[in-house]
Amino acid sequence: MSTGWLIGSAVIAVIVAPLVGGLLRGIDRKLTAHMQGRIGPPIIQPFYDVIKLLGKKPMVAGRAQLVFAYGFLALIVTAVIFFVRGQDLLVVLFILFFGSLCLPLGALSVKSPYSQLGGHRELLQFLAYEPILLLAAIPIALKAGGFPIANIFEYGQPLLPDLWLTFVALFIALAIVMRKSPFDISSSEHAHQELVRGVITEYSGPYLALIEIGHWYEMVLLLSILGLFWVVGSLWWLSIIIALGSWFIMLIVDNVNARLTWSWMLKFAWGAGVTLVALNILFINLGWM
Amino acid sequence: MIDSLLGLSIFFPIIAGFICLGIKNHKARGSIVFLTAVVLITSSIFFLRQGSFPIEYSPAPTWGWVILVLNYVILAYFLFVAIKDFAQRGISRHNVLTIALTLAAGIPLAIFEFSQAPHTPLEVAPTLYIDHLSVIMCLIISIIGSLIAVYAIRYMKDHEEHRMHLGELKETTQPRFFFFMLIFLGAMNGLVFANNLIWLAFFWEVTTLACYALIRHDETPIAITNAFRALWMCLIGSVGFSLAIIFLWNSPLNTISLTEVINSGALAYPVLLLPIALLCLAGLTKAAQVPFQSWLLGAMVAPTPVSALLHSSTMVNAGVYLVLRIAPAFQGTHLSTLIAIYGGAVFLITAILAISQSEGKKVLAYSTIGNLGLIILCAGINTSLAIAVGIMLLIFHAISKGLLFLCAGAIEHHIWSRDIEDMEGIATKLPVLTGITIIAMFSMLVAPFGVLITKWGAMEAASGIGVWSTLVLVLLMLGSGATTVFWAKWIGRFLCHSPVPGRAKKEPFIPLYHGILLILIGCAVVLSVLIAAVYNGVIAPGLTEAGYNAASAFTTSAWFLKSSIGIFAAWPIFIIIALALLIPSLATRAKPEESHASYMCGENVEIGTDEFVAVADERTQLKTGGFYIESMLGEGNLNRFVVPIGVVLLVILFVLVVI
Repeated sequence: MSTGWLIGSAVIAVIVAPLVGGLLRGIDRKLTAHMQGRIGPPIIQPFYDVIKLLGKKPMVAGRAQLVFAYGFLALIVTAVIFFVRGQDLLVVLFILFFGSLCLPLGALSVKSPYSQLGGHRELLQFLAYEPILLLAAIPIALKAGGFPIANIFEYGQPLLPDLWLTFVALFIALAIVMRKSPFDISSSEHAHQELVRGVITEYSGPYLALIEIGHWYEMVLLLSILGLFWVVGSLWWLSIIIALGSWFIMLIVDNVNARLTWSWMLKFAWGAGVTLVALNILFINLGWM
Repeated sequence: MIDSLLGLSIFFPIIAGFICLGIKNHKARGSIVFLTAVVLITSSIFFLRQGSFPIEYSPAPTWGWVILVLNYVILAYFLFVAIKDFAQRGISRHNVLTIALTLAAGIPLAIFEFSQAPHTPLEVAPTLYIDHLSVIMCLIISIIGSLIAVYAIRYMKDHEEHRMHLGELKETTQPRFFFFMLIFLGAMNGLVFANNLIWLAFFWEVTTLACYALIRHDETPIAITNAFRALWMCLIGSVGFSLAIIFLWNSPLNTISLTEVINSGALAYPVLLLPIALLCLAGLTKAAQVPFQSWLLGAMVAPTPVSALLHSSTMVNAGVYLVLRIAPAFQGTHLSTLIAIYGGAVFLITAILAISQSEGKKVLAYSTIGNLGLIILCAGINTSLAIAVGIMLLIFHAISKGLLFLCAGAIEHHIWSRDIEDMEGIATKLPVLTGITIIAMFSMLVAPFGVLITKWGAMEAASGIGVWSTLVLVLLMLGSGATTVFWAKWIGRFLCHSPVPGRAKKEPFIPLYHGILLILIGCAVVLSVLIAAVYNGVIAPGLTEAGYNAASAFTTSAWFLKSSIGIFAAWPIFIIIALALLIPSLATRAKPEESHASYMCGENVEIGTDEFVAVADERTQLKTGGFYIESMLGEGNLNRFVVPIGVVLLVILFVLVVI
């Protein structure tokens, strides 16, 4: 593989991912508005929002907050690049976790009741989804013969038929990461239930824009992980259908549910999510799947 | 050459310890400690540069007598202190158990050594055996241990001044303190080189002695109680050693040479399984694994350098070192699988318990036990990859955790508290110290620091062991999630502050605090970046000597670490982290006009204060606090389950071995 292609693919991913992510956010807002009987903003509203935020006067409560805003975006972009380059899935997840961790750390670095509460609740979300995401890498690697994402392409068969248990668990985990109801413990993705948005209460202006762009990358990365389940063969386009379909179902779930308590979320994630992946690993090891 | 290096590593610190015992002058004593540190560090590096490993060495037979006599002297001392405690403070669980276990360890060994053994003292060739694994341990002990001892020169001065100020102390007890610190360093070096199990058991006993004496150093009632708890729990390990020696001599192997046991293996000689399990038990007690975790938590009453030296980076490591060392002997047995599950359970349990702790040192203690559990898990998985990962974690954990304890000690001497809640916002008061501490915490927590690389390796290694991998992986992943929570929460408390106008003023630079911390954080970062070189330099040869296949663990290309099923590109991530986090944190600064007060529904009193207008227009101070979830995850709640789980796991382990 030439160096040109190496750099080229990374650059394309870095440019395309936020465009797709922003657009999905716009469609999300539009569809949600329709479900709630509103007209909703134009589909490219998220881009307008970010451009406007970038032009605002910067305001922070401390240097740490600013550092973690940069860190959040930079690390998630790194995770995207590692993903596109076919690197080890666990390593991609670890970089993503470090990025995601910047958000609660930024929130906790301000002495503010709302952002403290949001930061701690974000950590509880972390506790709920991190084990599921990490565990989900195992059955994928067992099937594909290794952890590098490149192996999944070389494997030559779709993963979903054998790994549908893992897929369901990942779906739960991603709903938590994306802060969709009923798992929007630290702050909801849409500000549809609250005026003060937990973990990002203290962010404003350009720093909020950085976080918003980071979220676009994050969403595309997570949906791409779901897409990995059917990425090869003549029906490779099913991966896009699967990713977008999951996203759409998540959106409906978000709209028909209310937020639940963190202890319920934790029990559900560890109880249902972890059990599903564990069963999947067990079945593979027993040769049943 | 080798005999003088052994002399410098083992005897020099012991002699220096005795000299310290007689020196009342602070400066003179400090110079001795400093000199010992220089000698130890130099000789450990010379060990590394010895060409051909393994090296076998047997000293003159008279040394066997010295070891034999001193071993019983130490046991007699344990009996003496327990009886004295019984006389002074009345009967308690701790002194009764100490007496019982000392007798249980000493009497069988005495009967064996004086009546059953063909020679007294019993010799095996070689007495000392030096390979890469023991040199890695020697480097950890000599470099990190010495740095901690040097740090203690300043720490103990501050510590005693504070206690004298409070009226708790009249006369300095530092000679005794440094005596035990230094002989401990010598004994640890002896422990990792010993091949004769009687020698190994003796050095093991010396570390138990130092541990006991240093925990009770402050002589408060709680310190004495906790010292006895540590003593009797470690003595369980000594009983294990005595029984293992007797079983091994009476087995078909007829030996007490550690290497011979390892080379024979339990697959070929199933009768070895019981003594091997007993040696593992000794390792588990020393490493404070559940259900023995309470001694390590109690040990936190000791001055912080003790916690850094004995209870995180060296002595507890001796426990996991022993398990890693004998791992080839139980490869392919049920014992191995059980040990993996056991280590995973300890990792998860301690990570959850750490969430509820508000005392900083206790969080560090739980994290230590958890990471040692992770090493035990690796030893249990017992593939080349897993053992490589276990040794890596041994190194990186020792650096990062020793460092974190020293950070905690330095912070404690600025704020005179160990409570995490009292550390709220100290990033503005102690920016340098807090910065180092946060980086040290990151080195335990996030990619691509060494500890996380080993976590990655452990996950990948655990995925390849068949049916039981499911359970091991679930324990590992859940524990990993909980680990993130307690570290991030603590970092959050450091940083939590109201906007301060202008640049934070740096605290004065104290060489013996800040300097040592900077050296250690430098080691943690540099070794993480150069992990491929560390692997090729010391770990791969160590694996080969232990009979594993180094090529099937990792290969390195372009300084990336590559296993057969994964790849970790550490240094590119480091560059990105430097760009993403370090540059903004060093170069950028919020301009005064950019800083604003936090959101309080528009009820702020004025910018620059953290007050808000409450009911009846009253000015009220804003208070924030961390999450501890005491009601759910508190020790009181969970220990009811934790200790029985640990006991049941150990019972299953032994029942299976005997069957």
